[in-house]
Amino acid sequence: MKEFFHRRIERNAIGFVLAIVGVASIGGLVEIAPLFTIHETVEAAPDMRLYTPLELAGRNLYIREGCYACHSQMIRTLRDEVERYGPYSLAAESQYDHPMLWGSKRTGPDLARLGAKYSDAWHVAHLINPRDVVPESVMPRYGWLQRNPLRIDDLGEHLAAQRAVGVPYTDAMIENATADARGQANPEAAESSGVTERYGEATNVRVFDGNPSLVTEMDALVAYLQVLGQLTGAAHQETAGRQE
Amino acid sequence: MISRLTVSERHLALFVLGALALAGLAMAVGGRGDPLAVHGVIVLAASLGLGFLVLSALFSPEPGESRLAEYYDDPTKAGIVLSLAWAVVGMFFGVWVAALLAWPELTFVDSAWASFGRIRPVHTSGVIFGFGGNALIATSFHVLQRTCRARLPDQFSPWFVLIGYNLFCVIAASGYLMGMTQSKEYAEPEWYADIWLVIVWVVYFLIYIRTLARRKEPHIYVANWYYMAFILVVAVLHIVNNLALPVSFGHAKSYSLFSGVQDAMTQWWYGHNAVAFFLTAGFLGMMYYYLPKRAERPIFSYRLSIISFWGITFMYMWAGAHHLHYTALPQWVQTLGMTFSVVLLVPSWASAGNALATLNGAWHKVRDDATLRFMMVAAVFYGLSTFEGSFMAIRAVNSLSHYTDWTVGHVHAGALGWVAMITFGSLYALVPWMWKQERMYSPKLIEVHFWLALAGTVVYVFAMWNSGIIQGLMWRTYNDSGTLAYSFIDSLVAMHPYYIARAFGGLLFLTGAVVCSYNVWMTIRMARVARVPAKGDVPLYGAAQAGE
Amino acid sequence: MDIDHYSVVAFAKSWGLFYLIALAVGVTVYAFWPGNRKRFDRAKKSILDKDDRPGGENDGN
Ligand code: HEC
Repeated sequence: MKEFFHRRIERNAIGFVLAIVGVASIGGLVEIAPLFTIHETVEAAPDMRLYTPLELAGRNLYIREGCYACHSQMIRTLRDEVERYGPYSLAAESQYDHPMLWGSKRTGPDLARLGAKYSDAWHVAHLINPRDVVPESVMPRYGWLQRNPLRIDDLGEHLAAQRAVGVPYTDAMIENATADARGQANPEAAESSGVTERYGEATNVRVFDGNPSLVTEMDALVAYLQVLGQLTGAAHQETAGRQE
Repeated sequence: MISRLTVSERHLALFVLGALALAGLAMAVGGRGDPLAVHGVIVLAASLGLGFLVLSALFSPEPGESRLAEYYDDPTKAGIVLSLAWAVVGMFFGVWVAALLAWPELTFVDSAWASFGRIRPVHTSGVIFGFGGNALIATSFHVLQRTCRARLPDQFSPWFVLIGYNLFCVIAASGYLMGMTQSKEYAEPEWYADIWLVIVWVVYFLIYIRTLARRKEPHIYVANWYYMAFILVVAVLHIVNNLALPVSFGHAKSYSLFSGVQDAMTQWWYGHNAVAFFLTAGFLGMMYYYLPKRAERPIFSYRLSIISFWGITFMYMWAGAHHLHYTALPQWVQTLGMTFSVVLLVPSWASAGNALATLNGAWHKVRDDATLRFMMVAAVFYGLSTFEGSFMAIRAVNSLSHYTDWTVGHVHAGALGWVAMITFGSLYALVPWMWKQERMYSPKLIEVHFWLALAGTVVYVFAMWNSGIIQGLMWRTYNDSGTLAYSFIDSLVAMHPYYIARAFGGLLFLTGAVVCSYNVWMTIRMARVARVPAKGDVPLYGAAQAGE
Repeated sequence: MDIDHYSVVAFAKSWGLFYLIALAVGVTVYAFWPGNRKRFDRAKKSILDKDDRPGGENDGN
């Protein structure tokens, strides 16, 4: 009898647990599950290219330094935002972003359409000390990026992991990841021709940080910043289409 | 404290610490050339240190059976101390990052670890997980035992949860300083820390279930419902949002399984519900126990507390999409998120109202007792910030408030006004019970703390309201010729005075937390001194009823 | 069967609503069920009892 009583109480508590999990999960399921069939409705971006290994490394530095805490990369469908920053962001544009970096706070301006807005030298100077370029800025200095050599030996592993979560990197891209990073940061290097071959003619192949002899973290971050909003032209077409 | 563990519990502890040390060693070796190795060393050092501690008391005699006739409160005591330590650390970093937005050079400019982006998560994780999480664990063990009239099922697992959880917090915070982050707000720690937290959490859940199964009361008191929802739903959220693939087992870095829209929705489903189930449900559990206890009045309406429990549990989960208004997220999800966020006001206000109605008729106590006043103000701020939250979830309002300091102000109305205040109130009630004192070392200092905390919160929130609304308006103001009137830099310059005010408000709040820590420390010392002429082990009934 | 995006959305929306109503009714009934009254009253008051030791069936009140 006593045994039975105890078991009943226990079942009571377990039922309670199941009820909480059940009730709480529904909202998430209803909202999130359909998003996994959404590829059917996402605007197509056939011209979309992938991040090069150097740009991906730069993106990881953007994450490492917490730039996302002050900068969004998501232009909303509001007139003032479109006029200030450029065409509003499309879902397709971040389809290969693991994780997304939409951000939640604009202590600094949105960066979704930053690519090609400034010169590499501007970015380098700005990152070394923002107040040299914009006296009112409250952005931190990032001088160490210019000094630290970039770790490139493991970029192949990074690309392979990206492919495993769904980014269509090819075997050749993975095999040549390290060489491509070196090549993209130095057009004089023998490896540089492979970069445009694999990632397209529009890829920026330059000495981003002004120092051709070393691939630094600055090279990677600036390469990434210069490609923001440049991977596909879909957003510009979409906005043009809407205005007609 | 270790000699209070049974001999077999000590053996179990050694075994677990040994396994942990091996895991640390594996991380240190496998992660060569990667910051992962540093964490391996931290894990190794922590488990060896604790191992020696256990070894030093390994051969103490087995504790007597009499221990089973008392509640097991040692982990609660340790949790209180840890919680306050994290409060001071986390708030210190908060004041620092706030100051950096007013004076960007106020740091070691050439040190990567001290830059804004790296120390900001130390602040957020420090206060949410360090301060809040430890307070939740400590109070939940206390409430669970009292409301079940049953002792914790064993003495090892609560320590495992508490220490394991703090190890997670240390890994998280030290990782940020080295730049290890997943970039998902409030879910920044990397994959190995996430896995560790899952293990800790499962044990936490098992403690809850095992104690509930042993309870002597037929009905599970509602505070436990909230604690349970906190434990369960946080587990679900944590696991789903942190699904990621490490680059390799030798890399700290991982890539989220989700991308783009899905990732954004998953992240804010997590982010919003971390607020709901970590910062709301858990602390409501605290409120439903400590507030009636301290006021010595039963909760106003038990039924209402049940209805609002299910309302909150059900509806919060839908609300996350309001973080993504006007983005690339499909419109229908945005609308759904907005609708539920507004309806959510009903159960939220039901809870706040229930708390305040409980105090009705005891206002003289609120006036005289700063501890109870902390709880009262917490309920008021809970009501205010849930109202504000529902309001900000409306698309039109959100178009103005999103991306601005208004959001930051809203978060802090909740975090300082509600979460921290209910925690401080509960700790002030709990500490004398735990250390068997009639009252805190200094009621005066509680009063001082109360006013510092209230002033700090109000200054902070008003500063951020102003700056947020000004910012939002400046970004969307057009001049007569139809072009944008202000550059981004104009809006940045306009924020400067508010950023100074905010840092000042934060400093007041931090000072309050320091005062509280001192007061708690002195209360503990008082207990040490008093223990010498042992009054026997008779618990003080009066103290347990407390109040006067 | 081919599940397209729109049917998933439609399913989510309609069942979500149904579920919401069912839950609200269920919870209200539970809270006001006359048989539960005594438990709730006891639970509400019992936390104020002496609680210095585990076990000890309290004398209720
Ligand atoms: C403390 C917040 C903060 C952090 C962290 C931060 N920024 Fe900024 N950022 C700003 C502010 C404020 C501005 C506007 C003033 C200026 O141009 O410096 C800005 C401007 C910029 C600009 C110029 C944008 C434009 O369109 O004019 C770029 C590029 C930029 N930041 C990149 C970065 C990168 C990359 C990181 C991380 C390494 C970063 N920021 C981290 C606050 C921040």
